[in-house]
Order: sequence, then C-alpha cells, then structure tokens
Amino acid sequence: MTATTYEPTRQRSPHFFDSLFASLGIFGLALRRNRAGMVGFIGLMIYAVWVLIGPYLVPFDDQVRLDQIASPPGSRLVMITRVEDVSRYTSLDDLNGQTVGVLDRSGGETMVEPYEDSGALEVETERFSSGRGVPALLDQLAEGDVDAVVLFSDAAKRYLTPSSSGENDYPGLVVSNAELGRPYILGTDTQGRDILSHIVHGGTTLITTALVAGLMSTLIAVVLGAMAALVGGMVDTIVTAIANLVLTIPSFPLLIVLAALIQLNNPLMLALLIALLSWPVLMRAIRSQVLSLRERDYVEAAFALDLGLRHIILREILPNMMSFVAINFIFAVTRAMYDQVGLIFLGMVPINDYTWGVMLYFGRSRGTLFSPDSASMVLSPVIAIALFQVSMVLFARSLEEMFDPRLRTAK
Amino acid sequence: MIGAVKPTIVENTMKNDVILQVQDLSIVYQTPRGDVMATTDVSFDLRKGETMALIGESGSGKTTLSLSFIRMLPNSARVTKGKILYSRDGVTRDILEMSDNEIRRFRWSDCAMVFQGAQNAFNPVLRVRQQFADTAAAHGKTDKAWIKQRTLELFKLVRLDPERVYEAYPHEMSGGMRQRSLLALGVLLDPQIVILDEPTTALDILTQRAIIDVLKEMQQRLNFSIIFISHDLALAAEMASRVATVYAGEIVEEGSVEDIFYRHRHPYTLGLIRSVPRLSRQQDELMSIPGEPPNLITPPSGCKFHPRCMFASDKCKVDPPPLVEYEPGHRAACWHTDKVAAARIAFAAQD
Amino acid sequence: MATHTPTAPALEAAPVPSFHLLDYLRRFYANYTVRTIFKALVTIWAVITFTFFLIRLMPGNPVEVYVDFLMNQQNMTYDEAYSRAASQFRFDPDASPVTQYVEYMGHLLQGDLGESITSSGTRVIDQIARFLPWTIFSVGLGLLISFTLGATLGTIMAYKRNTFIDHTLSLISSILSAVPNYIWGLMILIIFGVQLRWFNVGELRGTYSPTMTPGFTLEFLGDVLKHAMLPVLVYVTGSIGGWMLNMRNSTIGTLGEDYVGVARARGLTSSRILLAYVGRNASLPMFTLLAINIGFIIGGSVIIEELFVYKGIGSFLYWSISQRDYTSMQGVFLIITISVVVSNLMADLLYSRLDPRVRVSGEK
Ligand SMILES: Nc1ncnc2c1ncn2[C@@H]1O[C@H](COP(=O)(O)OP(=O)(O)OP(=O)(O)O)[C@@H](O)[C@H]1O
Ligand SMILES: [Mg+2]
Repeated sequence: MTATTYEPTRQRSPHFFDSLFASLGIFGLALRRNRAGMVGFIGLMIYAVWVLIGPYLVPFDDQVRLDQIASPPGSRLVMITRVEDVSRYTSLDDLNGQTVGVLDRSGGETMVEPYEDSGALEVETERFSSGRGVPALLDQLAEGDVDAVVLFSDAAKRYLTPSSSGENDYPGLVVSNAELGRPYILGTDTQGRDILSHIVHGGTTLITTALVAGLMSTLIAVVLGAMAALVGGMVDTIVTAIANLVLTIPSFPLLIVLAALIQLNNPLMLALLIALLSWPVLMRAIRSQVLSLRERDYVEAAFALDLGLRHIILREILPNMMSFVAINFIFAVTRAMYDQVGLIFLGMVPINDYTWGVMLYFGRSRGTLFSPDSASMVLSPVIAIALFQVSMVLFARSLEEMFDPRLRTAK
Repeated sequence: MIGAVKPTIVENTMKNDVILQVQDLSIVYQTPRGDVMATTDVSFDLRKGETMALIGESGSGKTTLSLSFIRMLPNSARVTKGKILYSRDGVTRDILEMSDNEIRRFRWSDCAMVFQGAQNAFNPVLRVRQQFADTAAAHGKTDKAWIKQRTLELFKLVRLDPERVYEAYPHEMSGGMRQRSLLALGVLLDPQIVILDEPTTALDILTQRAIIDVLKEMQQRLNFSIIFISHDLALAAEMASRVATVYAGEIVEEGSVEDIFYRHRHPYTLGLIRSVPRLSRQQDELMSIPGEPPNLITPPSGCKFHPRCMFASDKCKVDPPPLVEYEPGHRAACWHTDKVAAARIAFAAQD
Repeated sequence: MATHTPTAPALEAAPVPSFHLLDYLRRFYANYTVRTIFKALVTIWAVITFTFFLIRLMPGNPVEVYVDFLMNQQNMTYDEAYSRAASQFRFDPDASPVTQYVEYMGHLLQGDLGESITSSGTRVIDQIARFLPWTIFSVGLGLLISFTLGATLGTIMAYKRNTFIDHTLSLISSILSAVPNYIWGLMILIIFGVQLRWFNVGELRGTYSPTMTPGFTLEFLGDVLKHAMLPVLVYVTGSIGGWMLNMRNSTIGTLGEDYVGVARARGLTSSRILLAYVGRNASLPMFTLLAINIGFIIGGSVIIEELFVYKGIGSFLYWSISQRDYTSMQGVFLIITISVVVSNLMADLLYSRLDPRVRVSGEK
C-alpha cells in the first residue's frame, strides 16, 4: 500500500475469486470471463464438497417414522386432541397404547414394517389418504374413535383456525402440541425418513461410478484412437470397424439386456460396461486429431528420431490434446451418469446403495410419483442429478469455448 | 425494387469518363487495442476501361480500400470520412449513401470483386451453372435461355470447355478452372468495374499466365475497368495503365505505368521497385526497405514513411507532405522528390 | 432414390470400357448408394452374430436358465425342457454352435424370430410388428421437430452471435442437453401433470385411448397425437439443445467461408444466402450427428416409454426383460439395432443427396 507503484492499478476491489483464480493461472482468467463456465465450475466445487464431506456431516437417516410419512419440505407436525384431553396428550409418549390418526400423503404403498417392529411407539394408527382424508380424520377424533391426530401444520391450520367468517369447523378440537418433531428441509419419504440425508448420501456412489466410467471410456478412446492413427494399416481398419459397430448398437438397450443376463452388483463392473459401450465417439475424434497432429513438424521430428510410440503419444501428442480430452472426459462422465441412473431407475441393477437413482426407482415403483403431496421425494433427486449434469456441461462448454479459437469471442 | 426511393443524385463534378471517384476516404478498424487507421485521406479517379493497379506491402491497406467500394468491410470497420462517387449512365451516386437494397443490386452488376485468396468462392453443394443463374436472378434476370447462352459464351471466353463445366460441381474442377469460372461469373452482368485482389497468387505460373491473358482479352471485348491488386510488380506493370502506391493506408504516389516504374518520385516506390530481383541485376544489389511497416494504431508523425526513409529530414518528422501533381496525372507525396529522382537515375546508371 | 445412380463424373478420367466381372463389381461398389447399403447390411449381419453369441455365451445363459425354469416350475424332465427351449429359441440343441448359428440365420432370413417364452404360441415378430410402429412414430416425430427447430434456433444464434439472444439461447441449450431426457420426463410429469394438473397423466397412458377404434379418422389421429405428446415432448426437450449448439457452431464456421462472402458480393438476397449457401452447408455436419442421435434416442425410449406407459418397442423390451422372456428380448434388441442401422442408412443417403462431394469420394 505504501510502496509507490508506477504501474496503473486496476480500479477494482479485491475479490475472493481473484485470489482463487490467480492460483489457477490462465485457466482462471479465462473462466472469469465466461460467466456460465464459472457457474458450472462453482457448481462442481459444491458437488465435490458435498460428496466428499457431506456424508460425514449429515448421518444417513434410516429411522422409520410412521407419523411423519411424506412430510412436506420444512413442515412440522402438530398434535390435535379434543379440548378435554388437551393436557393429557401433549407429547408422543403420552400416546402409548392409544389410537392415533395419521395422514398418509405418500399416495402409494407405504411399505413399512408393522409398527411394533420399527421400535417406535406402541400405538395403533388409523391411516387416511390425503385430500379428503383430513376432515374424515378430524371427524373421527371429534367422535372419539381415535384419541389424537398427528398432522402436518399446513393441514391443521386449514381446518382448525377460524375462517374469515369467524367460524371454526371443529370447535371441539385444539392443537395440544404445535412443535412435535422437527421440520425437515426437504421433507420425508414414504417411511418418514429425512430426504435431505438421502440426497447428501445418494450422490457418492453415482458420481464415483460415473467418474470411473468416464475415465475408463476416455482411456480406451485415447489409447485406441492414438494407436489407430499412429500405427495405421490393419490396426486402424480393425479398430475403426469395431468403433463403428459399437457406435451403431444402441448402448442403453444393450446395457439393460446385459443387466438382465449378469448381476451388476459391482459398481466397477457397471462402470466398465458403460465405458465399453461409450468410447467410439471420442476415439474417432482422437484418431482424426492425431492424424492431423501427425502432420505437424514436431511430431514428425519425433517420428524421425524414432522415439517410440509411447513417447510420442505421451510426450508429443497428448499434451497438445489435453483440453480436448478433458472436455470429452466430462461429456463421458455425464453420459455414464445417464446410463447408470437410467438402469437404476428401471430397476435393472441390484440395490446396494440408497442413491439418487434408487430414490427415483422407489418413486416410480411405489407410486409416489403421482401423488401431489410427495413431490419432494422424487423432485429432490431429480434436481440433484439435473444440477450435477448442468454443472458438468456448462463447465465443459466453457472449456470448449476457451480452447476452440473458432468459437472464441470474435467481433 | 422499391419504387419510392429517390436516388440522391450528387452534383456531377466528375469528368465524362470517370466512373469511380474516391474523395478523402478514411477508414478505421475498431479493435480492443485502439483504432487501426487502415485508410487515410485517399483520393483518386478511375476511368472507364482503364486498369488501375494498387501496389504496396502486406498490410498497407489495399484490400481495405477495395472492399469499401462494394461496402463489404467487416463489421469492425468504420468509414470516418469521405465519399465514393460512382457514375453510370450519367447518374452519379455516393456508394456510401446507398440503401441496403441499392447496394445489393450495385454489387456484381456494377462492381464485381474477386477476393484475395478465395479458394472456395463457389458454394460446394450447387452446380456452377446454378450459381450463375443465382447471380442473374438476384439482379432481376430470370430468362433461362438468356442465362444459359450467356454462361456458355463466357465459359468459352475464359477458355473452359462450356459443356463440361456447365453441369459440374465446384469440387470437380481444378483451382485454375475455378478461378477462370469465377472470372466468367465476374463479368456475367456486364459490370463497369472488376476488382481483382491478388487473383493469381494461389496458382502455378502457367495457369497464372493463362488467366492474365484471359483477363486482358475479356477487358478488350467488354471494356470494363479493373482495379488490380498484386504483389507481383511485373504483373501489375503488364496489366495496368495506371498505378497507385499505397503506404500505411495512404496513396503516396500515383501515375501512369511509365511514371511509376521509370519516373517515380517517392522513396517508397523506389524501394518497392528496387527490391524486385531482376536477371540483369546482381543479387547483392537488391535493396530492401529497412524497418517494419508502421503500427497503424499510432502511426508516425509527419510523413509516415520517415522512419524507414533514407532521405528523411527533420521536416519529414513533423509535416506530412501533400500529394502534389508533378506532371499531368503523376502525383507524389514527398518533401524530397528531387533527391529520389537523383537516386533513381544513379541506380539506373549502375544497372 | 433408387433411380439416382451417379457415376464418377471426374472431368479428367474417361472410363475405359471393360467387361471384366471384377471390374464391373468394383465400379458398382464405387457407387455411393450401393456402398452405403452394403455397409449397412454388413453391420446388421455383425450385430445379429454378436447378439446370437452374446445370448449363448453369457454367464447365466438364458437357454439354461429357461430350461431350469421349465424343470422346476412345470416338472419337466431335462430333455423335455431342453427340446421345448430349443423350439422356442429356434435352434437344434444337438447341433454344433456353428450349425445352430446357420439355422438361426436361416430362420431370421424368413423373418422368424422365434416364439415368445411367456406367452407360448405368440410369435416374437408379431409382437414387434405391434409395438415397433409406435416407437418409430413418436421417436421420428420427436427427431423431426427437434432437428428443424434446433437447426433454426442454431442459425439464429449464429447470425446473432455474441448478442444477448445468443448467450441466452446458448445457456438454455446447454442446460437442455445436459439433463438426461428421462429426468426432463420426470420433471414434466411431476410439475405439469401431478402438481399443476395441466394434463391428466392417467388418461395419456398407452398409445391411444381404449375407447377408440383404430382407423384413419381425424378423431383417432388426434387421440394418437395426444398420447404421443409427452414422449415426443421429452424427445424434443432432450435433444434440441444438441442440435442448437451444433448448428450454431457449424453456421458460424460456414459464415466465415469464402463462398458466403462471395455470394454477398454477388448481390444475392440475404434469404437466398441464408438458405442455399449458409443453411445448406452448415446443416451437412448435422447429418453425421443424426446417426449418433437416432441410436441414442431409440435407446433412451426404453425409459421414456416405460415412464409414460407408452406401448412402444422400448416398453416391450422392458416388459420382456422383466418377464425373463429371452426370445422376445433377443428379437426386440435385434430389431432396435436394425432400426438404428436403417435410420443411419437413410441419414447417409439423405446426406449424399445434399452434398455432391460424398457421392464420388465416399468420404465425409
Ligand atoms: N478486420 C480487421 N480488424 C482490424 N484490423 C484489420 C482488419 N482487417 C485488416 N486490418 C488491418 O488493416 C490494415 C490493412 O489491411 P489490409 O488487409 O487492407 O492490407 P493489404 O494491403 O490488403 O495486405 P495484403 O497485401 O497482405 O493483403 C492492416 O494493418 C491490418 O492489420
Ligand atoms: Mg489484401
């Protein structure tokens, strides 16, 4: 600050990202100019943190809560009783041995074990489907068929607070505990489990598998592409022919056929299968790139010096194609994500892990997909997957723009 | 097309046979680093049927100048000053004032241009004849029989086998054949002016020769004017009746071929001519112009050539020399034309 | 299409007449159309062979699994079960694999894909004939819409490059292409169907309403379109982004070509330049992509059709897999692949109609 500088200083206050990008050099500079790429980059950073650290911060929620099935995001439970019981039933423990009315908003099968097995309260439940269920439930309470009703606050509010005309539909009922349980940011699933915890845990396997598949696919493509271009002759013909064949076979149907024949228990195996079906596009691009790079002087010189194929690929050709390969690696990862989640969604892969894909699968197989009240169960993984893919692609596209002079901003 | 447009007829100050008059034209390219002054205060006349050659180093602004005549400058270019008057059938118009539709119709039917390095001037997916027909149709000529007859006739004129080329796709022709077809296409609509920006650089010497012969023959028959840009001074001398030397976006000397090649008065023209190898000259006598072409964003003060000029004096560093007419039709912009003349004579004696 | 038989029109080469058979064949093969069709046939053959051995060599060989199933469930002896499996799979169990293969190919050539395992007596080919047209219809319609719309928007982006419109559309197309199409399907279903109730999800199931009698009536056609609406919408959403971006980049490249500048200098109208000079050349690379895209969309149709309960070949494949109906599965997989090959073939031939250069050299 005190030193005199003769260089014109920029009239900008230092920014957090300035220091971050300074360390990333030219790459950061270019990225800072590309706002969409920046968004993608930040998105990926968030996902990285999420996948690596998230699971340690948020424990996986496996606790079945029959009273909180398909809780809407952010909603709390309230307990409603008859006016005369208001001091008798104020906490869940008070309900032991009583009959409780709960609302089932899952819209489909709830798939829960008997109440006793879940280790929860020993209460008997009356289940009512959402929609017209609430008045029916409250009627039963008013008539004394159940002892208490446990409801989400939004539904309770609608029926128990006096309307504008000053009339209360159920004058005999009151809220005895307005803060039962805790609110869940993303709500709960058909078993009353915290969706947020599933979202936090559900990405790790998916993203890892997709990264591994993308890596393998890229590796196969680079090796085969470079080999076909550099060795030429028979090798080129055969590799190209295989690539064309694999390219024609629609990979997703083949994947599900294979999944029907062999058990895809192992994520690594799944990654390998996906990679084996997705390398040809990149391989062909690499082949033609290498063919054109080969013409350049320095590669020709390397050939003339007889430096060996491996040296030429690793030292001369790959460095010149790094950006190209990196971009295609990202696209391969998104493609692997597509295949993987698609397979899980259709139920073609044994379920070992409660991933985003599995959440989608349950959403479909248990019918929650079609329930207006349990949108969060399916929308949460949908958005998690969509944002991951969008971050990847935005980042890749900005790289593409950065490195392709033809697309780079011109007048 | 639009009947309501009233042509803004400029007061006719042009002599009878002048068809293009450039007045004080200045063009800049706006770039992030600053404005590139690619053309500065250029004025000259082009007469009917004459060939005017533009010579000068790479980057001196020849292409920029000629692109402005058909208003095909890139978006970053701005005409900051001047007029380009064009005259046909007694009506004179400023090209820079024409509406979009007028300029579209002006292009090719009045002024055709063969671009520098345009190897792929033809659309690869259309037959050559379709592209001739396209051009004719764009200018309101839709008589199929006429188009076909005219096309075949022009192919003959450029010495191509009309039957073969007529149905061909561009990729089925060699580079030389394509260039000849392009010349034929250039005169399809009987333009008054044909601009040729280095039309033969990509071709071998024999094909070059053939094209030049074809050009001369066409010009004789059809009597159009040519603006000829070339780095090949011998070719320029052969084709042109008048020559203009362009340096750093300015015309520094202009005159008849003899004026420029034998009586030049500008040190840059002298340098250009002395830098061409000749059989009669020793290799080490070849003179090259020292230094680099100037930066056109911040050009030198005074005479822009002074940093590279062997005759430069203090005056040259401050005062830009005006373009002065020394003989009828021979103009030069230099404070030391007499020294240049003396040097020229001394060199000639050496040869 | 068949009538067009371009022969090498190179200006220099005067073909030497020859009556040599090999020579004749070589010239015949030099024809782009012939060569493309030949390549497609070879691909189909390779795929058939590949599937045949895949199904038999995989661990958990479906024939063995099926034999086990018959023995356990229907109390057959091994021999009974085996011969039953053999007849349904269309092979002779006693023959060598090669003979089995030859036999299988023979059946295939007659269009015989075997019998369904789960509903015996039903020929797989009949099932396919029932379901395939719906997929061809919906996928074809989706591709047509996304291709034309995407190409148009891409051209607009290129003409307006680096303006607000371009940046916005680029971002949108990136997002559209990034998100898997079935994820779009889920979002559309949940947001517009279940939450906002813009359409009735239940009513739109199937390929047409059960109350309709199929026929060429306007009413039936409308019903069919209504049912295809969601899958088509998803195919369009999922693939339009790719078309937009590719067309944009390709058009930007084309706009820099010499012939576009020359066309402007020739005074052609901007609409003529846009269509015949820029558009036509810029869309050429899109036809190579079409091949990749067709395979991808048909592949993805398994999920989309299953999601919307649209009874096409994709949902039939899913059904046969979940029923362990291996003969159907094998047949459907073959047919899907052949459809892709045939669509690619059509894209190639279309390409050659648009680009005179490939007809001779055969290289794109
Ligand atoms: N699109 C552009 N943007 C910025 N500057 C430009 C542009 N086109 C040309 N220039 C600059 O304008 C000057 C004149 O260029 P021009 O192409 O007219 O030269 P030229 O005499 O035709 O050269 P050559 O003989 O190499 O064709 C050069 O300094 C060049 O760098
Ligand atoms: Mg030039």
